[in-house]
Formats: sequence, structure tokens, C-alpha cells
Amino acid sequence: MNTLPVQIAFYSLAALTLISAAYVVRARSIIHAGFWLLPCFVGVAGLFATLQAHFFFVAQLLIYAGAILVLILFALMLTRDAMSLHVPLKSHLGIWAGLISAGLGISASLVLARQSWSVTTAHPAGPARQAEALGEALIGLYAVPFEVASLLLLSALIGAVVLAKVERAPAPEPPPLADTLPEPEETRKEPVGVE
Amino acid sequence: MLGVPTEYFLVLSGILFTIGVIGVLIKRNPIVIFMCIELMLNAVNLTFIALGRHFVHVNGQMYVIFVMAVAAAEVAIGLGIIVALFRSKETINIDEVNLMKY
Repeated sequence: MNTLPVQIAFYSLAALTLISAAYVVRARSIIHAGFWLLPCFVGVAGLFATLQAHFFFVAQLLIYAGAILVLILFALMLTRDAMSLHVPLKSHLGIWAGLISAGLGISASLVLARQSWSVTTAHPAGPARQAEALGEALIGLYAVPFEVASLLLLSALIGAVVLAKVERAPAPEPPPLADTLPEPEETRKEPVGVE
Repeated sequence: MLGVPTEYFLVLSGILFTIGVIGVLIKRNPIVIFMCIELMLNAVNLTFIALGRHFVHVNGQMYVIFVMAVAAAEVAIGLGIIVALFRSKETINIDEVNLMKY
């Protein structure tokens, strides 16, 4: 395999991902932060392609750049009044955050870089074989976690519906309607009972 | 061998995770905090896939599937909570939403 194009792709995708991630954190308006998320997700998808994980390249584009980003933008637009305000940033907290995160980042990078990663000689399998292995593992060794994940998604679906319906529950029961409604029901029921 | 060594991916995902941590710590809007959590989850996915390639094993990719499923569930529920909170309190600044604090 030719290494130079892969390296160029890696460096440009890494730069795209990191710069747009930095802009997500730095952006003054929330909607800009939301839109900066898109190149970041696309960059990570490209990195997956660099790693020859073809299935996750597509999954990242569909799930993150498609579904999750759209959900976040919807939430931004539903909380429209908050959108116009600039995100306040506490300066004393910012210093602490910088210190903590710098310590975390430096220590993580040191641990990862000092580990001697022996050079892998094995080529990853082709796309078809990789997807095959993934599917076999999903219905074999990982069958139970897979079912638990589907239950989790189902409960999240129901939970999202319940959360969205909470506000509308008190609206359709005004008191005058409640007084007038039972009477016709009783009169209707009586003939049915007689028959 | 393949073009880019594994540790480059690991250091890159470490930096991406750190950017996410900075965002979670300094931002005051929960939706932006959600975005930064997504950055951190992406960094973790990148680590899993890089190590899965390094050890030529399907486990790394398998965990990414579950991380993506949990992230989707988390976004749906979390954003639902944020929108419900905004409807009832008219603000989502996390310094002003402190009813559970006392």
C-alpha cells in the first residue's frame, strides 16, 4: 500500500477535526458552535476511512453528521430565545478548566506516546470480510449486549415521547367542557343498558 | 505496514477528548455541553477503532457500535430534557437551573 497519500489524508483530516472542534468550544454564538460540529464529525468519519473501518465511516456520517447533528440543531431552534444570547464564560472557572484539561491532555498523551506500540504487520481484512466478522460477532458473542442496546434505544424512544408530551397534558381539559361532557354520555348509556 | 502509526491516532483522540473536556468545563449552555460530550465520544470511538486495527480484532469496532447506540439514546433524552426545561423555566443557563441543588 502506498503510504504517502494515507499520511497526507491523516494530517489534513486531523487538522480539520481539531480546528473545527476548537471552534465548537470557542464560537461565541451557539448556532455557530452547532454548525462547526459538522466538519468535526466529517473529519472523524474520514479518519475512520483512513483506519480502513469502512462500515464506521458510513455509520459516522449517517448517525453523527446526520441524525445527532440535526437533533442538536432542532434543540437549538426550539430554545430560540437562549440562542440569541452569547454563551457566558466565567473567567476564574476558565483558568481552572484550562489547568485541569491541560493536565489531562498532557498526561494522556504521555501515557499513549510512551507505550511502545509495536508496528503491526497484519493488514486489516477487506470491507466485505470486516462486515462479515462484525455481523457474526453481533449475533454470536455479542448477542446479549446487542439486545440490551436495542432495549436501551426503545426506552429512549419512549422516554423522549413522554418528555415531549408532558407540557401538553394539562391543555385539553378546560373545566366547562368537563362539566358538560358526562351528561350526554350517561344519557347515551341508559338506552344501551335497557336494550 | 499501513501508513500512519497507531499512536498518532491515539494522541489525536487524546487532544480531541481534551478539547471536549475544556468545553464541558467552561460552557454555560447545556446544548453546547452536549456538543462537547459528543466530541469526547468521538475521540473515544477513534481510540477504539485505532486499537481495533492495531490488534486486528473485531472487539474494538464492536464497542463503537454500542457507544454510538448509547450516544443516540443520550442525545434524544438529554435534548428532550433541555427543551422541557426551557419550556417550564424560560432559561437553560445551567447557573440558573439549580433547583436540585438544595
